[in-house]
Amino acid sequence: MSRINKNVVLALLTLTSSAFLLFQLYYYKHYLSAKNAAGLSKSKGSRIGFDSIQWRAVKKFIMLTSNQNVPVFLIDPLILELINKNFEQVKNTSYGSTSECKFFCVPRDFTAFALQYHLRKNEEGWIQVAENMGFQCIKIESKDPRLDGIDSLSGTEIPLHYICKLATHAIHLIVFHERSGNYLWHGHLRLKEHIDRKFVPFRKLRFGRYPGAFDRPELQQVTVDGLEVLIPKDPMYFVEEIPHSRFIECRYKEARAFFQQYLDDNTVEAMAFRKSAKELLQLAAKTLNKLGIPFWLSSGTCLGWYRQCNIIPYSKDVDLGIFIQDYKSDIILAFQDAGLPLKHKFGKVEDSLELSFQGKDDVKLDIFFFYEETDHMWNGGTQAKTGKKFKYLFPKFTLCWTEFVDMKVHVPCETLEYIEANYGKTWKIPVKTWDWKRSPPNVQPNGVWPISEWDEVIQLY
Amino acid sequence: MDDWKPSPLIKPFGARKKRSWYLTWKYKLTNQRALRRFCQTGAVLFLLVTVIVNIKLILDTRRAISEANEDPEPEQDYDEALGRLEPPRRRGSGPRRVLDVEVYSSRSKVYVAVDGTTVLEDEAREQGRGIHVIVLNQATGHVMAKRVFDTYSPHEDEAMVLFLNMVAPGRVLICTVKDEGSFHLKDTAKALLRSLGSQAGPALGWRDTWAFVGRKGGPVLGEKHSKSPALSSWGDPVLLKTDVPLSSAEEAECHWADTELNRRRRRFCSKVEGYGSVCSCKDPTPIEFSPDPLPDNKVLNVPVAVIAGNRPNYLYRMLRSLLSAQGVSPQMITVFIDGYYEEPMDVVALFGLRGIQHTPISIKNARVSQHYKASLTATFNLFPEAKFAVVLEEDLDIAVDFFSFLSQSIHLLEEDDSLYCISAWNDQGYEHTAEDPALLYRVETMPGLGWVLRRSLYKEELEPKWPTPEKLWDWDMWMRMPEQRRGRECIIPDVSRSYHFGIVGLNMNGYFHEAYFKKHKFNTVPGVQLRNVDSLKKEAYEVEIHRLLSEAEVLDHSKNPCEDSFLPDTEGHTYVAFIRMEKDDDFTTWTQLAKCLHIWDLDVRGNHRGLWRLFRKKNHFLVVGVPASPYSVKKPPSVTPIFLEPPPKEEGAPGAAEQT
Repeated sequence: MSRINKNVVLALLTLTSSAFLLFQLYYYKHYLSAKNAAGLSKSKGSRIGFDSIQWRAVKKFIMLTSNQNVPVFLIDPLILELINKNFEQVKNTSYGSTSECKFFCVPRDFTAFALQYHLRKNEEGWIQVAENMGFQCIKIESKDPRLDGIDSLSGTEIPLHYICKLATHAIHLIVFHERSGNYLWHGHLRLKEHIDRKFVPFRKLRFGRYPGAFDRPELQQVTVDGLEVLIPKDPMYFVEEIPHSRFIECRYKEARAFFQQYLDDNTVEAMAFRKSAKELLQLAAKTLNKLGIPFWLSSGTCLGWYRQCNIIPYSKDVDLGIFIQDYKSDIILAFQDAGLPLKHKFGKVEDSLELSFQGKDDVKLDIFFFYEETDHMWNGGTQAKTGKKFKYLFPKFTLCWTEFVDMKVHVPCETLEYIEANYGKTWKIPVKTWDWKRSPPNVQPNGVWPISEWDEVIQLY
Repeated sequence: MDDWKPSPLIKPFGARKKRSWYLTWKYKLTNQRALRRFCQTGAVLFLLVTVIVNIKLILDTRRAISEANEDPEPEQDYDEALGRLEPPRRRGSGPRRVLDVEVYSSRSKVYVAVDGTTVLEDEAREQGRGIHVIVLNQATGHVMAKRVFDTYSPHEDEAMVLFLNMVAPGRVLICTVKDEGSFHLKDTAKALLRSLGSQAGPALGWRDTWAFVGRKGGPVLGEKHSKSPALSSWGDPVLLKTDVPLSSAEEAECHWADTELNRRRRRFCSKVEGYGSVCSCKDPTPIEFSPDPLPDNKVLNVPVAVIAGNRPNYLYRMLRSLLSAQGVSPQMITVFIDGYYEEPMDVVALFGLRGIQHTPISIKNARVSQHYKASLTATFNLFPEAKFAVVLEEDLDIAVDFFSFLSQSIHLLEEDDSLYCISAWNDQGYEHTAEDPALLYRVETMPGLGWVLRRSLYKEELEPKWPTPEKLWDWDMWMRMPEQRRGRECIIPDVSRSYHFGIVGLNMNGYFHEAYFKKHKFNTVPGVQLRNVDSLKKEAYEVEIHRLLSEAEVLDHSKNPCEDSFLPDTEGHTYVAFIRMEKDDDFTTWTQLAKCLHIWDLDVRGNHRGLWRLFRKKNHFLVVGVPASPYSVKKPPSVTPIFLEPPPKEEGAPGAAEQT
């Protein structure tokens, strides 16, 4: 019996090994061809690191987009930073002469590209091609925010994000849509139920956690690691925009509800005021942007945006906020040059600074400077007659982009807290008489300016 | 060989022989037991090692495959997955089902119910007379088309024949008569009904009731008919209840090649009927046109807004002509549909365009007006960089050189503030009054019907004061009002670049269309080079007009301007006539002249400072209103301006119809 058993074992082993032998023969062919390919690319002058999966994925993606006329540009912060550091080198190398893979071979999970949606030619033919090339793609769609502001329109959904995975590396294609106000907008990456949560490590994505807004970048073509790509002309400007790019949409639905309750004022005067306020805001924004001073909609202008997505027709002025550390001394001159003379100046840079400029048609531009404390922010007020000081307290906030009267402007991200601090819980109810010294719930008396300082801290023109 | 039989003796012998060989071999080996042991163990070890190494190799390769992409495996996997997913979806819902169809025909009410769901019910008075036709998908039972042909009136039977011929074979057809459907049901239509297998249809008489269910090109599934007993009375109401067996989805679909275009086509054709050869199995009409691009196209990035309601057949025709026009860019087109209608949306999807639906606000003219506002606002929001937008309507044919026309003229809108719009439509451009496709005019009236709107005009002037829903205004009438137009003018071509084919509409009916729109001239020549475009600018145009008037021959004012002989039988001349026009708003004589020339006479159109320009018998014909027009100075003193008396009041003008 044992003899036979042994024989059986022998036979079995022979069989298995022959099977494996056959498999090896079959596999050898593939193994060889892969080796050859690697060898070939290496023989082209010692090119180091070009077999990394990141580089291959990017290469395939760039090939795909140029063949299919998909208008994309590179926005990956990691790579843009690297490019920026070695910009001279990137500029001087022409196609194919690179010897070392320096940028696209850096280990990472994603490479981010932006798709300029308004320049695309054919809708989605490229996805099919991408899938034939070995990419696995998912698409995230949503409704078009540009139609939200208009009553009762419902359109087809627009694409917001594509993620195309090639083996372990994924290309994150963020769809940039044009918005009124000359900026590019991308949507929030919200996974629908049917999408595999493990498709890629979504948490590591650099874009899509929030909607974002960017200045429209000028582009340039460069050759990076032997690949021709479009990148922003000023890569660092773009990279620095990323952490502050969060965008919040106006609450159009609530604004419509507001107007159903309190009819919109469409009188000639209201329309005229809105028009001049809009022009004043645009002029102020242009001036401050030129100086590089960040600002946000404050007080009544902010309330108008938040409550009714428009300028409050009876508010009589435009209110902006600026952090005191961003104050520049040439601000007054710049506004004067823009045709907005100084109307009054209260306080000083160290304390309770407030500037007021005279716009056209009796519309005033108020700029409040905000001071940061450990647990709150505040801005000051001064009563010209008595020299009394006031302090308006706000919970700490950060800045977000939004769209307001065809402009990309900042508002406090924590808008509700900001507005409730300023106007109380009843901010939803329109109030036409407002005493800036008494009405705001966040106002505090802050002493009196010493008479000796009055000349400096109370300037009326 | 056949009769060879194996001998029972041979077998054991052979076996024995084999065995002995085996034994010898074994014996030899046992003789070297030590060696054999060694070999055996060696072999086993070797084999084991091979197995282990191989397993390791496989594991390694697995990892390598998932990391590398050169291996085609993932791709195959993906394709397989796709392949596996597709077929069951197409196979549809399992076993064959039966639809339970009810059809009712009577004098004052018709209805059709499919599986208990009413898909047609019409008991409105004075409405819906004639033969109602419903087409069902033979595989799903969905309503694909719903039409009513008032075959009591002339020509409606022709439309019915056209429609029934377009329906694909195999579809379920349901017909039912309301009130009267036989008076103008001519032989062609009756023959078609006969070919469908109907018994009663071809013999349908005055005020008969009739209900019919059948498969196109297949068996009749049920028919009921009741003759009217006398001229003054109707046939008894009939109720037809019948079962319609459903066929499989494969049978209901065509086998087109699997391309993106055909996927769109398939989706469309399984939902709706009545679009002719677009759903033909054998030779479907293309849904992508790729017309020649325009060299130096200035309007490539100008958004196109198509304003639509629920007239999907019109929209289909319109989009076909639009997408065939040279220089069109489909990604710039947005179709705005007033209401949540599915079929227009299906048409939009068929052509792969963007469609936006709009919840109706208000009623009638105000509804149209609100729809326009939302559409225009949305267009400028969707294309924030666009300085202009092209506005089209769903009942327009678009000329092949529509975009070429705009590309050549759009710079005027940028450079000349005195312009209100550029329109593709000449209100006075009829077959007999328009001639020169290269010629442009300036007019004080806004024609609409295919026009270009400036963003700044809309955003800064029109949008903020657009009529609110409670004001039941026509948007175009409102735009023509002096408060809005503020003395600005529109550029129009002599030969229109759009053609208004809509017969059914808010302000439209067959008579009106026949009288005012049918004979409108429409350019069909591609690539027309416009002449002297810059002479359309404000000052240059005055120079041009003065030049024209100076060389124009003054017509014989003693003749009747309505007579054909008023103009000599020449070609290529320029003639001028002077009519009486006391004030800027005195159009008495002009209106009478327009009436007898058979051009637009319902209100004043096409004027520029008291001057009208048109063609008669291939001659350029100028009409100057004296003394209101500044061009009156060109009138020779001897000429007395023509005066035409308006007709006595009781005749009245036809309807209060307006063009939208």
